[in-house]
Amino acid sequence: MDFFAVNGKRPIRLCEETRKFAFDSLNHKYGLETWSTPAVSMDDYKGFQNLSPLQKYDAVIERISKTAPIRICDGEKISGSATLGMAISHNIPADFGGKPVFSSSISHLTIDFETVIKKGVNHIQKQAEDALKKYKGTEKEPFIQSCIHCLQCMKMWHERYLEQLKNKPEYRANYENLKNVPFEPAKNFYEAVQSIWFTFAFVRLCGNWPGIGRIDWLLGDYLEKDLADGMLTLDEAREILAHFFIKGCEWVKGGNYGSGDAQHYQNILLAGVDENGKEVTNTVTYLVLDILEELGISDFPTTVRINKNTDKKLLKRIAEVIRYGGGVVAVYNEDLIIDSLTDYGYELKEARKFANDGCWEIQIPGKTFFTYIPFDSLQILQQRTFDNYGTKVCFADFESLYDAFVNDLRSEVEEIIATRNASRFIYTAVPTKEWKWAPDMPCTVVSLFEQGCIEKGHSYLEGGPVYNVASPHIGGLPDVVNSLYAIKKLVFDERKVSFAEMMRLLKNNWEDNETLRQYALNKYSYFGNDNDEVDIIAKNIISDFSDICDNLESGYKTPAGISTFGRQLDWSELRMATPYGKKAHNVLAGNFSPTPGTDKEGATAIIKSYCKADLKRTVSGAALDIKLLPSSVNGENGVEAISSLIKGFVTLGGHFMQLDIADTGLLKKAQKHPEEYQNLSVRVSGWNARFVTLNREWQNMIIAQTGSDL
Amino acid sequence: MIISDIQRFCMHDGPGVRTTVFFKGCPLRCKWCHNPETQSYQKELLFYKEKCIGCGICKACDKETCIVCGACAKNCPTGAREVAGRECTARELYDQIQKDVAFYGKKGGVTFSGGECMTQIEPLAEVLKMCKEKGIHTVVDTAGYVPFGNFEKVMPYTDLFLYDIKLFNPEKHQKYTGVSNKLILENLKKLFSVGVKIWVRIPIIPSVNDNIDEMRKIKEFLDECGTPEKIELLPYHPMGESKSQALGKTPHLFEIPDSEKMKSLKEIFE
Repeated sequence: MDFFAVNGKRPIRLCEETRKFAFDSLNHKYGLETWSTPAVSMDDYKGFQNLSPLQKYDAVIERISKTAPIRICDGEKISGSATLGMAISHNIPADFGGKPVFSSSISHLTIDFETVIKKGVNHIQKQAEDALKKYKGTEKEPFIQSCIHCLQCMKMWHERYLEQLKNKPEYRANYENLKNVPFEPAKNFYEAVQSIWFTFAFVRLCGNWPGIGRIDWLLGDYLEKDLADGMLTLDEAREILAHFFIKGCEWVKGGNYGSGDAQHYQNILLAGVDENGKEVTNTVTYLVLDILEELGISDFPTTVRINKNTDKKLLKRIAEVIRYGGGVVAVYNEDLIIDSLTDYGYELKEARKFANDGCWEIQIPGKTFFTYIPFDSLQILQQRTFDNYGTKVCFADFESLYDAFVNDLRSEVEEIIATRNASRFIYTAVPTKEWKWAPDMPCTVVSLFEQGCIEKGHSYLEGGPVYNVASPHIGGLPDVVNSLYAIKKLVFDERKVSFAEMMRLLKNNWEDNETLRQYALNKYSYFGNDNDEVDIIAKNIISDFSDICDNLESGYKTPAGISTFGRQLDWSELRMATPYGKKAHNVLAGNFSPTPGTDKEGATAIIKSYCKADLKRTVSGAALDIKLLPSSVNGENGVEAISSLIKGFVTLGGHFMQLDIADTGLLKKAQKHPEEYQNLSVRVSGWNARFVTLNREWQNMIIAQTGSDL
Repeated sequence: MIISDIQRFCMHDGPGVRTTVFFKGCPLRCKWCHNPETQSYQKELLFYKEKCIGCGICKACDKETCIVCGACAKNCPTGAREVAGRECTARELYDQIQKDVAFYGKKGGVTFSGGECMTQIEPLAEVLKMCKEKGIHTVVDTAGYVPFGNFEKVMPYTDLFLYDIKLFNPEKHQKYTGVSNKLILENLKKLFSVGVKIWVRIPIIPSVNDNIDEMRKIKEFLDECGTPEKIELLPYHPMGESKSQALGKTPHLFEIPDSEKMKSLKEIFE
């Protein structure tokens, strides 16, 4: 019963039964079971077709709550399971006439678990009843009625679990523990864990993918009190918490799925300051790290908030966990992010509460609608600024080229927001100023746990939450930077080729000048090598792009962000040759990380290049992915190396960094013999995936990113 | 001074995260040398055949008449032609070293290696002093084949010496490195007596020194003259092969020692 490690052997602290539970879960036992019952059927529901979307939704949630399979896993310490397979595919698990009733469900949010554990779900019920009095007879009444209905459904589902547990003497403790929560406030650590889990499982059962948020901040006080009172030992607490993480693998089902099977946005944050500026790090923080270290569970992408005062002990612990590979733990620079949020206009106390959404985009948990609008800036440069490498384009100097690009970038982003046009660069829906976004998509279950919705009488998708954010995310940024830099050097500085000839060569995919292509590729030091001359281009674009975002007229918040999340794969089909020597359709840079193969100076230089920009401006986030070879972090110096990289990253003003330990040899072996590497997890791009569940293209992209010899 | 390379984020040349500077030029000619481009004190042209696309842009001159002007390497689009060796001042070197100061922390810093950095003693001392003044941890990686006076010059600015012992047997030492080990061992003894921090490093070269007898003798010698903070056994690796070929030399290859062997030899020093 081994849990895969790239480096060394993982320590054992948990009992044999718990390890077995983890092993079975990671090896698809519950995922396949869930997959085999995809949805509830609404076929026999009289008049279903004639119901309004919200009425359909209420009927579906009721049926799910009443009929979804109940699952109690052998030896589980906490109960509740999201047992319908369609939820694994990001949809509400209900069919009508052989087709899904709804087209999608909700993700990219961290819901309000604080209210759940401290005040109980009954408190939300009370809020809804108050709101009903207020909105009776108004157009808001149906939504509030739906809230009350969904809470009743949650209770029905809860009752079903209690009934099952009651009759099984070996689950007496589970029964006693579940009786009170999540409807009443949690009284101790065990109840608090169960409360979060049950609520999380219900929201997931109904098809949604919420994040968890700051689990140590939520649970720390409960645990400290129980330990002090002698109610619980540290080992017992670790076992309970481990079951939370193991149950979180109940959707792991193997197979190849493009971006992998561990991507359900169930993010967790650790450490950092609370709303009053006091450090949160507590016993739960270390227990979570113990569990991740031992089981290598990658399904809860975990990010630690690091600040200038972070305890050395915590840094060391993070480094130790990272070293086993799997990319399970990433880091935020909390100091920069809090400044970034307050500069953007959030109150300091709110800013300090920040968590994230599905990957790493910053949000205030439990009260934020979030979506992001990804687009490819390299295509803007190629298609607009260079007119598809047309013959009429000409720039006299670098400055006029740069200005033209920024103008095109501005027009493109403004067009996206103004026209809500899912044009060639984006795929996602963009809200209107009036928040008519997705009227056919009810989302009451999620709205229950987002502050603002019940008070305002608006759902999560109708501007209900306290904050509403749609963040434009620039992709392909390092490739634009490298392209501009190569033209600066080849055309304007060294005059190796005229601008017109350069356009001709690129249009022709470099076919007739391999020598110059090689020169462009090998002779310059591009983004990621700590070269000021090129890094300043990135810095300027980020500053200009942030200005563009901050000045958008939209009716909601539109903070800037930098990401690709693996879209460099889709975009590659539409991209032409680049001035820095890459041919058309190559898979290029991910997030705000160097283009594969162009980073030659190692990890410290990558971090320096990345940190030169003012990343406070990219309020939604700017991810840096670094892959290190196992050989550079083995031995006693390895832990030191990782913590030094993290410390440098914070000192220099980074935002978010994911360090992964991997080598191409190992990944290629896993590609060849997937059966031997079922649990080899890699950091993909804000989330983790078991490598063998990625499809071939994704696997190759990860291998190419790992190729550089750092 | 002349250096061949600067490498950042080095994890195996002393404690913590380090920048390693490779000085060019060495009095030893170890058969297993993994940095053969650092032996000569002159600039040298390296030609990596496998990278050449035959574009002809280099207009390469005859090997016999080459004065290493570097013109061909400058124009070579693929990096097949490369010049090893560049002149730089202590100031220029320091500017490169300080680039990673945010990552060094208390443990990490700079390591001067080579080649033999201790043979370019004046500029070495100058740049060491600059680093020390700025609080950067300094390491000197040496084979010790220099007058002891050189050590005295750098000692005040050096936090740690990485000191190589290749072989204890004097005849074999002469045969495989081209020089006697008498001065090397004497210097190490003196260095211990001054009380500086030393890590002793022993490259393990199969068929040359990978035997218990050789290791025991080194151990006995060390027991006699002082206690290094650490003893590291470094397994031979053939990384010098391609560089050696690129220099037009015939590389001398050895086997790679297996981990069992390394483990048994390490035990001698525990």
